[in-house]
Amino acid sequence: MRLHIVLRYVSFSLLLNALFMFISCIISGINNDIGFMPLFYSSIVTLLFGIFPIIFVPGTTSITNKEGLLIVTTSWLLSCLVGSLPYILYGGPFTFTNSWFESVSGFTTTGSSILSDIESLPLGLIFWRASTHWIGGIGIIIFVLSVMPFIGIAEVVLFKSEVSSMVRENFHHRARRAIQILISVYVGLTILETIMLLFFGMNFLDAISHSFATIATGGFSSKNDSIAHYNSLPIEITIIVFMILSGIHFGLLYSVVTGQWGNLWRSSIIRYYLVSMLVGIFIVTLNIHHSQYQDWWSSFRYAAFNIISVGTSTGFANTNTAIWPAVSCLLLIFFTLQCACAGSTSGGIKADRIVILFKSFFRQIRQLMYPKAILPLRINKETVKDELASKALLYISIYLMVIFIITFLLTILKIDMLSAFTGTIAAMGNVGPGLGSVGSTGNFNHIPEIGKWLLSITMLLGRLEVYALFIILTPNQWRKTVSY
Amino acid sequence: MGLRGKILSGFIILSLMLLIAGLWSIYELSSIGSSVQKILDDNYESIHASKMMIEALEREDSAILLLLLGKWEEGRSIFIRADSLFAYNFNFATKNITIPGEKVHLDTIKVKYSAYKKLSERPIVGTAKEGNLDWYFNQNHRAFLDVRYSIEQLIDLNDRMMYKTSTDLKNRSNRSIMPGIIAAFSALIFTLIFNYLVNFLVVSPIIDITDRIKKFKNKKIPFDLKIETNDELMDLANSIQDLCQYVSAKDK
Repeated sequence: MRLHIVLRYVSFSLLLNALFMFISCIISGINNDIGFMPLFYSSIVTLLFGIFPIIFVPGTTSITNKEGLLIVTTSWLLSCLVGSLPYILYGGPFTFTNSWFESVSGFTTTGSSILSDIESLPLGLIFWRASTHWIGGIGIIIFVLSVMPFIGIAEVVLFKSEVSSMVRENFHHRARRAIQILISVYVGLTILETIMLLFFGMNFLDAISHSFATIATGGFSSKNDSIAHYNSLPIEITIIVFMILSGIHFGLLYSVVTGQWGNLWRSSIIRYYLVSMLVGIFIVTLNIHHSQYQDWWSSFRYAAFNIISVGTSTGFANTNTAIWPAVSCLLLIFFTLQCACAGSTSGGIKADRIVILFKSFFRQIRQLMYPKAILPLRINKETVKDELASKALLYISIYLMVIFIITFLLTILKIDMLSAFTGTIAAMGNVGPGLGSVGSTGNFNHIPEIGKWLLSITMLLGRLEVYALFIILTPNQWRKTVSY
Repeated sequence: MGLRGKILSGFIILSLMLLIAGLWSIYELSSIGSSVQKILDDNYESIHASKMMIEALEREDSAILLLLLGKWEEGRSIFIRADSLFAYNFNFATKNITIPGEKVHLDTIKVKYSAYKKLSERPIVGTAKEGNLDWYFNQNHRAFLDVRYSIEQLIDLNDRMMYKTSTDLKNRSNRSIMPGIIAAFSALIFTLIFNYLVNFLVVSPIIDITDRIKKFKNKKIPFDLKIETNDELMDLANSIQDLCQYVSAKDK
């Protein structure tokens, strides 16, 4: 393991953070608010930390898989750490734990907040919150690679380390091309949504902040009442459309843009993703009609927005879902666990793995009926390797196990079971709001300090798909230091 | 970049971090001082003036009661003195408008006090009002309470602003401490990184060069050392390699 090489590559992600901090600082400066100095000093410290290893360590284009994995994980952890600096320096409701929680929640695109009064924050800090979503949404390293010149084999290793195996299976391009597709779709969607939100009456800063949060499927809003603040149907429809798009594999979206519409409809994952949400919206509309809302239109409007928001792991809200009937709450829990497609900015188990789970289950039943038959697992008319299927099933098992352990630990801290469980699945799936005291109109400030640390670890585990964080903790990872 | 530049950049970065943190702390500390002065100037003096207005009003109320009892001379004298005390403090408060909404409150006080004064200045002694408690409670005292309520609203506004400024002071003191703490931690971490990189990319190659020279001198093992860094150390290694090749060639 060459730590100096790891340091050099990690420093690029620090520079990216410094750049966005500086933009936020300019916004604070223009607005003449008290967020200027915290953002300015944070950007300077981050810049200096980022620039030094680049000056000192000579560049190299070859890195090992272990180094790649360590670069990705360290980039996430350090980004979360430096990302909490503006909050720590600003003070107010931000203690060290709260700052870390808010920063991790931002970068992992969870969108859970400790703030009860978001609107009292300086505009620069609000923009920084939204920026953490946007940097983290596509993956910090992917973002860095997209703005760097081609760096040879290191780029392939870093790409493989950053994106999950599910994404790699779905991308039939070289790493450089895949990165270009990801970033162009990501930036394109953000620009398009910003323009539409501006058109429907949001001011520029709100429009760009909400676009960052939507496309990254984050959920931080610049308003205390989230999207409910606007009470505007065009804004809600715009956000719904972009939440759905952000939950689709970016490679597929790119093929649609390039005229290959058929790819979208041929994908059984996309069909499942869209149909499952439609069924969810239909059931919730029936369930909340009369009990919560008197007319069918309102029931449909709130059901659609909130199911799509949770089902894409965004976490925006336009009503208090914590008071919905049990059937609707259970469906919200299901979508919080499932979320959208691999290759998007969404978190959670992902629709791809759920499809593999269902297909494996039915194949197992058929296998019991015809023990000698060879029954391949097929998705989109292509055979899924048994190794990939078992990896997906193992991932779901570990995912659920982590949820159980964290929920258990939170209940020890005397958090009620509903809040502990839904808070954990929302953190693990990077969704944001849960139910109970951590519902769409609540926040996480009342959670004890240890609970906040547990939840922020859960967010990182969910974002890095569990394994990456564990790998850097294994002793083997640190042996055999290669000489210069 | 050369070795000198690299090491210098490390020290410059370290100094910059500490310098900016120091400057910011000084700025925040000095603004704490001006915030305290602001509380005293803006809020405390307005509150004091308001309290004096209430004091003057109370005295005027006592004067009215004396007038109701038929004591014209004592009553008028107390009333006139209290009125001038009220006017003085009202003028002071008018010149010290610093909070949004303060002017509205002062305008209300002005209107209500004029109404109260209009009622109280008219002759009482020797008229039907003398000893008339109904008139006192239903008209005069109500007008008095109206003015008093408006002054209390002004005090409340200043109190709230004082609380807000004090909370800001707490945040400002946090902001003056935090850059120092962050700078100290950053400097510590930076020193560790700097030390690691200097050790790994400067000291280790020097030790290795020395070791290879010894091996060349004692065992004639060829000097072939690749230095990654494009700096003076690479030049040194290349020069030694040339020297060793030259010596080897001469020996043959």
